[in-house]
Amino acid sequence: METLRQLPRCAPARMLAALGVALTLLGAAPARAADTPGGAMPEATPELVEQGRAIYFRRCSFCHGLLGDGNGPAAEFMDPRPRDFTLGTFKFRTTQSGELPTDEDLFRTISRGLPGTGMQSFDDARIKNGLSEAERWAVIAYIKTFAPEFDDPEFDPYQTLVALPENMAPYNADSIAKGAAVFERAKCWECHGRQGRGDGQKAFDRKDDWGFPIRIRNLTHPWKIKGGAEVADIYMRFSTGINGTPMPSFVKALDADERWYLANFIKSLQHQLTGHQVLKALAVEGAVPEAPDDAAWAEAEPMDVRLTGQVVAAPRWQNPSIELVTLKAAFNDTEIAFLLEWDDPFEDLTHNDAAVLDTTELSRVGGYNSYVAANDMVTRQLETFRDAVALQFPVRLPEGTVKPHFMRGAASTPVQLWTWKADLEAGGGRSVEEAIARGWRQTPQVRPDDQSQVSAQAVWDQGRWRVVMKRPLTTGERNDVQFRPGVFIPLAVNAWDGSNGEHGLIMSLSTWYFVLLEAPVPVRVYLLTVLAFLLTGAFALWLVRRAERENREPGGPET
Amino acid sequence: MRKPRIGRFWSVALTLAIIYAAVKWGIPAASREITGLPFPLPVPGTLIFIYMLLAVIALFLLVTFSDENLAEFMHPIKKLLRGGYGRIARAVVMTSIPFLAAWQVYQIVVPKVALPPSLRIQHPSSNFPKSFEALKNPFANPTEAEIAAFVEQAEADQVEFIPQVMSDIEVWIDETGPDHMLEFFPAGPMDAFLAQLEAGAVDDATARAALLEKNLFEGRALYAMNCRPCHGDSAAGDGPMADGFKLRPINFTDAGTLETIVEGYTFWRVTNGGPGLPTEATPWDSAMPEWKLSLTEEERWKIILAEYDLAEKTPRIPESH
Repeated sequence: METLRQLPRCAPARMLAALGVALTLLGAAPARAADTPGGAMPEATPELVEQGRAIYFRRCSFCHGLLGDGNGPAAEFMDPRPRDFTLGTFKFRTTQSGELPTDEDLFRTISRGLPGTGMQSFDDARIKNGLSEAERWAVIAYIKTFAPEFDDPEFDPYQTLVALPENMAPYNADSIAKGAAVFERAKCWECHGRQGRGDGQKAFDRKDDWGFPIRIRNLTHPWKIKGGAEVADIYMRFSTGINGTPMPSFVKALDADERWYLANFIKSLQHQLTGHQVLKALAVEGAVPEAPDDAAWAEAEPMDVRLTGQVVAAPRWQNPSIELVTLKAAFNDTEIAFLLEWDDPFEDLTHNDAAVLDTTELSRVGGYNSYVAANDMVTRQLETFRDAVALQFPVRLPEGTVKPHFMRGAASTPVQLWTWKADLEAGGGRSVEEAIARGWRQTPQVRPDDQSQVSAQAVWDQGRWRVVMKRPLTTGERNDVQFRPGVFIPLAVNAWDGSNGEHGLIMSLSTWYFVLLEAPVPVRVYLLTVLAFLLTGAFALWLVRRAERENREPGGPET
Repeated sequence: MRKPRIGRFWSVALTLAIIYAAVKWGIPAASREITGLPFPLPVPGTLIFIYMLLAVIALFLLVTFSDENLAEFMHPIKKLLRGGYGRIARAVVMTSIPFLAAWQVYQIVVPKVALPPSLRIQHPSSNFPKSFEALKNPFANPTEAEIAAFVEQAEADQVEFIPQVMSDIEVWIDETGPDHMLEFFPAGPMDAFLAQLEAGAVDDATARAALLEKNLFEGRALYAMNCRPCHGDSAAGDGPMADGFKLRPINFTDAGTLETIVEGYTFWRVTNGGPGLPTEATPWDSAMPEWKLSLTEEERWKIILAEYDLAEKTPRIPESH
């Protein structure tokens, strides 16, 4: 009753609350995506073009060139190269294959950027010093002056729009299964591989319209999907084709529903990164798994290690092929084994020392550049350099938080490298080299085979290497990492894709992660727990007994 | 009408629960309101322990203040022990006590698996050489002689640029056939300079501004070639290489970075990179190269000039000593 009577007095408060709720709802309403413009492109007046030129000069020209020909000073070190605007060939559009992009397409690319390339977001909602919507339109007005096709009404892109399908099937097991059938029938696997790892093409004959080699996209790495990793983005790619590349449009071969199912299937191939930084080694009874396909590996918890191009020291490399290595580990009383899995579309089993890059000029102070050019500097072909992978550990386990530098340590803080090499594996001998590195300036010191204790087994299948490296937990060697339960042991990964021209310091690398061999819980813990239980239990029992006794005594419980 | 009393024991228990809730969840919730940050500020475990200890002492004093208080407090406990609430209730409470105690002891003594902490000082100064403190960017402050040399080159239409940008400029000259090679600069200080050059009367301020434009242009090109792969083309620390590093490249557009340090500090960091950091800044996790091994001093200063400009920041002014 009391509360009811109070209601009228609370009315202003209730109104305020309702207002608050309404405001919250307004705020939570889906905001317009910042890569979609608020309106149509303003008219390209000379003033707008001049404003765009000033922005282009400051923000775009160093990659795309003063003339928009994709030949700025930074261009030759990147793969994919910056766009050449002069031909009017644009990859990511919502128009039919071979057509120009719409203004909104250009707006989307500038706003979002192209993941996995040097082209990044310029949206001022994401980047503090990014470009406002008006500024983005000004740049687009200027970019369009590079290709005369934009002025020709015959090439009006708005006549060739490709729309999203009307009734879009939800992303679920059914639409994914239907998409898998389309993937098979449309022969997507011929280039992208059965598992979508970009390993379908068995030869290196793919080139873009400019004659630069093209790598088939690995569809399982969403952070590298340039046109966007969402279902609608993927749908657009095979509905519009990617101009200037071998990727065709399937708009005639497949109907809209089929393409939508296919996009759902492609989305389902995307790998979800694990996110943790500690590799928990699985404790096993009996022998540790030695073969990559041993069923015991299924029980070990995977840890994804992100790698990136080696840009710490010359020769720097910003076009790495291997950006993800997934690790597992298993151990018993005497040995530990690591399973390393990574995607590599080509199996490179040979190594030609004569093709190794002379890095003297790149390593000079004041040289032209310390980065390796994307093309023509190293051979990025089959049968030139080997595939390889290395696990790196500190020689001495860190005291406190101090670690060796993640790139090969330093003179006073050496690291140990276990480097597996595909050419050694193919040769049938010992395929792992143990080496000590004291900084990247010196070549790691390789230990003679007869003193090495790491062994390996490897398999390459459908665009994926799976390598197991195994060693006793502890060795008598002073310069070996020693694996002890309960200790966080830093670990890093280096990787080389031979047909991507990678060798020496031209490689991918990770920063430090950890491996942990979980120690069994000490007996002391159980003893103390049981002791606590018994003591408190006995005390509780004593209290109850005493109370019972008082109950029975005359003049017992007070009421 | 008398208020229903819940009894001394339950009021003590309730008070403890309320204090615990206030410290554990109330303070963090209030902290969000006060700081406006998107995350709460938790109360450290030791502080919670101290608060709870104080609360227990205060309540102990209250309960033991008089015999009546103590008796009232003890009443429900005694009643429970004697079976006044039923034998089942007593059995449940008395058996849960040893289980709770055992669980607590286990939690305390079981070895914890936790990542070693990684504390990092972002702008360490323990090994920052004082001689760098007052360094000025020579390309932001050109000498009279440098300005005169630039004007002379411009008059001859033969301005010297770093080799890295020359091929792009040459292609531009070949394609557009300009009256002057510096016309590739968009509207701004360079226009004014070219106009004065044509009129044959160049003033010092205009020439200085034009030279700064030229230096910025070269610095931006060097930034795009050397720094962009990690720090990104908007200097936002989001370059295509950035995701592979646990210690992400610094976002220069962030207010806590370039603006809080003097130019000499930026130069020192670019020069010595990760390996030049002291231990408290975890040099082993830093991918920042020792650029002194690849870039000349001039190149490093030009990059720093462009970096501040691109990030739309100004360096901290050194304090005078």
